[in-house]
Parts: sequence; structure tokens; C-alpha cells
Amino acid sequence: MKSIPHLLVVDDNPADVILVREALAGSVHRSRIHSVEDGVEAMAFLNRKEKHANAIRPDLVILDLNLPKKAGLAVLAAMKAGPDLRRIPVVIFSTSRLSEDIQRSYELGGNCYVTKPGNLDEFFAAMKSIEEFWFGTASLPRQGE
Amino acid sequence: MNSAGTKLEKISAGEPKAQLRALLVEDNPLDATLVLRALYQEGFDVAADVVQDEDAFTRSVRANPPEIVLADYNLPNWKGMEALAVLRREGLDIPMILVSGALGDVTAVECIKQGATDYVLKDGLTRLPEVVRRALRERHEHRLRQQAEKDLARKVDELARSNADLEQFAYVASHDLQEPLRMVTAYTQLLGERYKGRLDENADKFIGYASEGAVRMQVLIQDLLAFSRVGRTDAACASVDCNAVMEEVRQALGSAIEESGAAVTSANLPAVWAERTQMAQVFQNLIGNAIKFRGKEPPVVLVKAEKTGENWLFSVTDNGIGIAAEYADSVFVVFQRLHARSEYSGNGIGLAICKKIVERYGGKIWLESFTGSGSTFKFTLPQGTENPQGARP
Repeated sequence: MKSIPHLLVVDDNPADVILVREALAGSVHRSRIHSVEDGVEAMAFLNRKEKHANAIRPDLVILDLNLPKKAGLAVLAAMKAGPDLRRIPVVIFSTSRLSEDIQRSYELGGNCYVTKPGNLDEFFAAMKSIEEFWFGTASLPRQGE
Repeated sequence: MNSAGTKLEKISAGEPKAQLRALLVEDNPLDATLVLRALYQEGFDVAADVVQDEDAFTRSVRANPPEIVLADYNLPNWKGMEALAVLRREGLDIPMILVSGALGDVTAVECIKQGATDYVLKDGLTRLPEVVRRALRERHEHRLRQQAEKDLARKVDELARSNADLEQFAYVASHDLQEPLRMVTAYTQLLGERYKGRLDENADKFIGYASEGAVRMQVLIQDLLAFSRVGRTDAACASVDCNAVMEEVRQALGSAIEESGAAVTSANLPAVWAERTQMAQVFQNLIGNAIKFRGKEPPVVLVKAEKTGENWLFSVTDNGIGIAAEYADSVFVVFQRLHARSEYSGNGIGLAICKKIVERYGGKIWLESFTGSGSTFKFTLPQGTENPQGARP
């Protein structure tokens, strides 16, 4: 039987995190959603440091760009520079439609870029399709313990 | 005054004379006197220092910059022409006239090439006052011109800066407004879905109004962002074949053309120097409007271009409802709408974007239309498929 996928949402806006939870509530994948509010905490979670010493290695990271302390692109760069962390797929999920942001995200090894839709239905649909693709369609690497 | 120089002051008498501060580079006191007399006789009230070497010259121009330098070509310890080098070194823009004994034509021409304003022979000093007058006049005019050029450059600079500030402001405002607005939209919608029928009837209606308003504001902000981006795009200009652009636009408007039964035709169009997507936007907005504001008949839209002087004159003619002449200018203003939202959708951004794009390439756009008989939008673009001088990148 397939194990439950773990999703890390890096977003400083708790309202967005709630929307992500609402979007995925009751889905067949039964993803566990973890969330952190800034880039520094995201790195602590991924590296299992400090209060996240017992954190589970996520199967997918949903990364906002505009983050306090350590910007989203810096988190992305740090992840893709690490031998373990680089295996984790990262979906950049940001309000920005700037071509520079999109370009830069892919250059740094981001796995896909999705602009946060302004409309609730579209937001839910985007989140559901992200979950469905990564946890339904795609095959993921086994994450080291 | 300084020890190396001799101070000669002419006291003016009788008619009022033109004040002149001169610096003479001259080793012969008699010649200096003759020079000053020649000027005095022709109406100059001269205050002059007389020097004969580089040190004294330098000290004098520093202490009291003259309006004119009159230099002998041959000096025992210095060369008159070297005074020019000192003036340049000191950053002084002062005319220098050579006053010399025998000076061959070749030497004279060479001196003027090197920057002397003019030369006068010592046995022709009657010419001197006129030469001085002309040198002063030319200097004055030159300074006025320089000042005018500087003023103009500064104003152009200020204008460019204030335009850039405005664009930056619109961009930042619309970009940063999106984030909180997205929250308002998403959560009023969530509230509407989750609590529909669980509050009272009014509550459902109120939530509906709130979320409609939020969605409309999102579209407005997107439009404002698109408008402010017209001048900020990083795409490159190239030679753009407008026929190919028209083909793309026909495809983009495919469903609108089909639904309305529109006939969109274009005569042989030229290539222009522009950004492809922006040209497409101009045609798409104009043709889209032609279809949207149609009359009872299916829309007929004709796109043409002809040469006029240095420009291409494009026209987009339709058989739609037309626009009253009094609105011919205001239709190009951002968010200016002529119809109620219930009649025609849209935010009034399309033509404003067209105007901004056309003007960006040095063209003009205007409207020739009368209510009931269709509209013709005309715009010009410079001819040529290479980067024209003066166009902004």
C-alpha cells in the first residue's frame, strides 16, 4: 500500500496555508500538510534542525517567493545545492507573474512555477492539480530517512 | 596688484564706455599702452593686468578672470599661445586674441586652429576693437546657447524621471495590491460557498456583492499592471510583419469573430520596427472593440495602411455603433468608458494601451467616427524596419 505523502507549504500568509488545506481536504491522496512561515524555518524543517529535529522529509515543497528572513529563491537555491534536498520536487507558488521570477525559479532548478490564482475556484483547482500530478501521476524518488 | 604684472587703468571721460576686464600678455610697455589706447578710443573702458610669463598669467586668471586675453605671440620668456593651455587647465572659457608683430598667414591659421579666437597685427590695431567686440559677442551667444541646451537637457531628464516614477508607482501599487485583494476575493468566495443558505437571504446577497466587487477590482488591477508594463517590457524590437500579426490576431479573436459573424479583412500591410506582442495588442484591441461595439449588422472590419511622408498611416474601419465626436479624445483615457457595464463589458483600458504603445514608437492615434455610421481608428508608425533614431529602446 502506498504511504501517505508529505507536503511542506512554505508561506508566511496563514490565510493561504488554510486555503491549501481547504483545497486538499478530503482528497484521495490524504496528503499530510506541514507548514512553515519563513525561509529560515523552511531550511530548519528540511535539515531537521532545532524545533524541527523530528521533522519528516517532505515529498513535495510548495514554496512562496516573498518570504520573511530568507527569500523563496534563496531557499530554492539552498535546496538545489544540497545533495539530499535537491531530490525533493519544489513547486513555486507565488502571486508574482513577473517573467524574471519565473525565469529565475527554473534556472535555480525549481520543478514548476504556478501563479497563485486570485479566484477561489481557480486556487482550489490549481492546488488539486498540483497534488494530483505529483502524488498521482509522477513517480517520486524515495526520500532518505 | 601682483608684482609680476603692471596695472594699467584707463579713466573714462565723456561719453559712457563699455567696461572691459582684459588680461594682456605683453613684454613691451609701449605696445601694451597702444593696445589699450586703441580699445579706449573705440569706446572701451578697460581695466587690464599686463603679464609676461606663465606664473603671473596663472595668478592673474585665478585671482580675477578676465573677459578677454590679448596675447603677444613672441615673448622673451614665454609663448603667447601657451596662455591657451593655461586657460584650458584652469577650466576657463575665455576668448584669446593674438596681438602680434609680423605673423605669417600659415602661423596665424595654425594659432586659430589651436584655439585662438582671432589675431590682429600690431600695425593694424584699429581692427582690434571690432575683433574684441565680435569675440565677446560670440562668447556671449555661445554661453546663451550652452545654457539653453543645458536647461533643455535638464527638463528632458526631469520629464523622463517623472514618467519613470509614475510607471514605477503604478506598477508597484498594482503589484502589491494584488496580494491582499486575493485574500479578500478568496475568503469572501469561501464564505459564500461554505455558508450559503445558512445565514439569512440578505447575507448571501451581501457576500455576493462583496466578492463580485473584489473580482472586478482584481481585473482592474491586472489592467493597470498591463498598462504600466507597456513602457517596461524587456522584449526586443524587431522588424514585424503586420500581415503575420493580423493572422495571429484573427486566431486570437477566433471565437468572437465566429459568434458575431464578423468579416475581418486586411489589405497588404507593411513591416514596422516594434515589439511583436505590442503590435498584436494594438490590432487585437482595435479589432476586438470593432466586434464588441457592433451594430445590428454582422461586423465588417477593414485594416489598411498607406504611406504618408515618413510614416505609415494605419486605419481600422468598422460598421459598428460609432462614437460621438465629443468623445473622440476621452476614449483613449485609462478606465474611460462610454457605456454602462450592463450594455458592454470591459474596463476601458484597451484604447489607453493602444495609445501608449503607438506613442512609444513615435506615432499618433486618433479616432474618426460619428454615432451610427461606424468608427475609423487611425494611427501612424514611422516607416522603416530598423531602429529609428530617437526611439526609446
